[in-house]
Amino acid sequence: MRQSMIEESVARLFADHVNRALLEKFEAGQWPQALWQLAADNGLTHALATEDAGGIGATWSEAYPILRGIGYWQVPLPLADTMIAAQLLSLAGIAIPDGPIALIEEGDDCALKADVDGAGLRLTGRAVRVAWAGACRWALASLADGRIALLDLRDEQTVRIIARLNPAHEPADDVELRGAPCIAHAANPFPALRQPVRTLGAIAAGAMMVGAMEWLLEQSVQYAGDRVQFGRPIGKNQAIQQPLALMAGDVAAARVATIVACADAPHAQARDCTATLFSAAVAKIRSGEAATRATAIAHQVHGAIGFTYEHALNFATRRLWAWREIHGADAWWAARLGEAAIAGRSSGFWPALTDRHFADMRSGPRR
Amino acid sequence: MQVLSIDPCTLPPECEALRAQVRAFVAETLGDFPASKRVRNWSGFDPEFSRKLGAHGWIGMTWPTRYGGRERSSLERYVVLEELLSCGAPVGAHWVAERQSALLLMRLSPEVLAPRIVPSIARGETYFCIGMSEPDSGSDLASIRTRAVRTDAGWVINGRKVWTSGAHRTHYMIALVRTGTQGEIRHAGLSQLLVDMKTPGLTIRPIINQLGEHDFNEVTFDDVLAPHEHLIGAEGDGWRQVSGELAFERSGPERYLSSSQLLLEMLDAADAGDARHAVAIGRIAASYATLRQMSLGVAGMLARGENPALVAALVKDQGALVEQAMPDIAHDLFGGVAPPGSPLAHAMSYTARAVPSFSLRGGTREILRGIIAKGLGLR
Repeated sequence: MRQSMIEESVARLFADHVNRALLEKFEAGQWPQALWQLAADNGLTHALATEDAGGIGATWSEAYPILRGIGYWQVPLPLADTMIAAQLLSLAGIAIPDGPIALIEEGDDCALKADVDGAGLRLTGRAVRVAWAGACRWALASLADGRIALLDLRDEQTVRIIARLNPAHEPADDVELRGAPCIAHAANPFPALRQPVRTLGAIAAGAMMVGAMEWLLEQSVQYAGDRVQFGRPIGKNQAIQQPLALMAGDVAAARVATIVACADAPHAQARDCTATLFSAAVAKIRSGEAATRATAIAHQVHGAIGFTYEHALNFATRRLWAWREIHGADAWWAARLGEAAIAGRSSGFWPALTDRHFADMRSGPRR
Repeated sequence: MQVLSIDPCTLPPECEALRAQVRAFVAETLGDFPASKRVRNWSGFDPEFSRKLGAHGWIGMTWPTRYGGRERSSLERYVVLEELLSCGAPVGAHWVAERQSALLLMRLSPEVLAPRIVPSIARGETYFCIGMSEPDSGSDLASIRTRAVRTDAGWVINGRKVWTSGAHRTHYMIALVRTGTQGEIRHAGLSQLLVDMKTPGLTIRPIINQLGEHDFNEVTFDDVLAPHEHLIGAEGDGWRQVSGELAFERSGPERYLSSSQLLLEMLDAADAGDARHAVAIGRIAASYATLRQMSLGVAGMLARGENPALVAALVKDQGALVEQAMPDIAHDLFGGVAPPGSPLAHAMSYTARAVPSFSLRGGTREILRGIIAKGLGLR
């Protein structure tokens, strides 16, 4: 089974190569090129891309262990971003360039103007909080008119990147485009998804959060068993057990929601997107909510030591605070899901839940 | 933490055909069933409705045909349950008998009690109540004092049970009683007995709940005689049996759908253009969608013959949080502005008073989290 092969390869690669030293160097500003190369050499960056384009042609369910692994091992790479870009580019018939690819999409955070320039396109506009832009040579831009385009972010004449960092010290940059030339453009291969980047990105972020929360839960249970106060492990106290049990429920919920969303995501063999938007919303909302509670509980259980930079805990919790915001925070998705639910009224609610599809659901900005 | 993971379960196509049948049945049977009754959800008691369900083969549908079942899959049963609960169908009369009592009888008295009683449960005619809690034994179930003594004539029961839902309108109780001494092992010396609610010496006194409804009862046993063959399973094995029974009691979709009518009323009253409404409703929808997949995952475990006791506790804990949040969210959005006398106002008032019981019945939140903590290896 392809999923278990991917799972084993991810576990081996990340467990062996993502460590404290690498994370500290990354936070000091050093791009982990060797780790990136390993991920690329093992096919992870192109897992979702078609085989014709040099990818594995995996489904989102098969690729789930990679996305979860980014969270579980706190991998400091634009891996999810590149996987999504490679899937969209390969299905749109655009050659996938080498190296990491950032994601830009028209929407709440970004307005773009596309000017026709001969056979090509030039983009003008500003995108904020573009994950990893400064670390990426390339960007995939998803336009509101239903096209996707490939950009060279190193075109200094037309592209300006204002560097910013998210709480996990990952780049979350502003990108200014002034007539930036597109290397290629084509129709969005999933036209049913008006915002393919935000929608697929929400599923990826959900999986990354689940991975980080699973690690957080393991660490918290371990710590509660190891730390002795008043003559016994603190985990023997119900006051510690009960919040950890709640956290386990939250993590299990986020995991189920995300695995369902992966199963409902389109891929090369099945481009149907009927349930994708609904399930992406559910996954991002539920993972985001769980992240909010799980980070608080993990820190409370760990006490003062968990508040130090030296302790590993903050490398996961800071990522959760960053990732609950990307590709639409839980409240943003809740607004979209809620608008659709209210439009469907009482008679539409249950059928929509069993179909995992609201007729009126939009991913775009509010009218 | 693999032990606490739930894998989603994909419903086979035959389930969707069945879903359409149940929806058609509900539309026809409950078309004029008022919101003021739907709000009771699975506490709604309606023998006529139970008999209609039985006639369709939708009670005990996974059971062997010799007991009146239809030998359908656990997943098909799940679909029927979720369709009924999501619209507040009054399934309360047969609920306990179908969910847990019949399973005990078929497993532990397959030749004597099950052939006698289970077929009438499947027809929607025979109803059960649960005799576990006592005045001094709630979460600490092992401390029960109701005692049964074996005599030549049968088991003689003395003691008292409380919070017995439906005792006044059900036919049988499965009572957890003390038949031996507790000794070193806290859970030793307990057994389960089948009690006919019409037996002389058995007194039922209503306990009115804060909804003003008569659901709870106090049941007093004063030399109540039960035939020898009413011992369910092995003498002294009651604790283990009850633990298995509670897994069934905790695993179903009723553990997140109890406040559904209030959600439906909110959907009809909400303004999609109001971001406060949209965000709040969207969060509930996400929780419902997730709990549905978790609950379905538990049904998938049952279908594969796995033991869902641990994850059932987890799903019930998560489900109760959502059910109980519903009246608070309604209060946030519509408190003081819902039109007096409207179905929304009624659902808000009713559900606010009903929800405290949702994290008490079937195992308190604290007991469930203790079970989960044990699964995590903390105790």
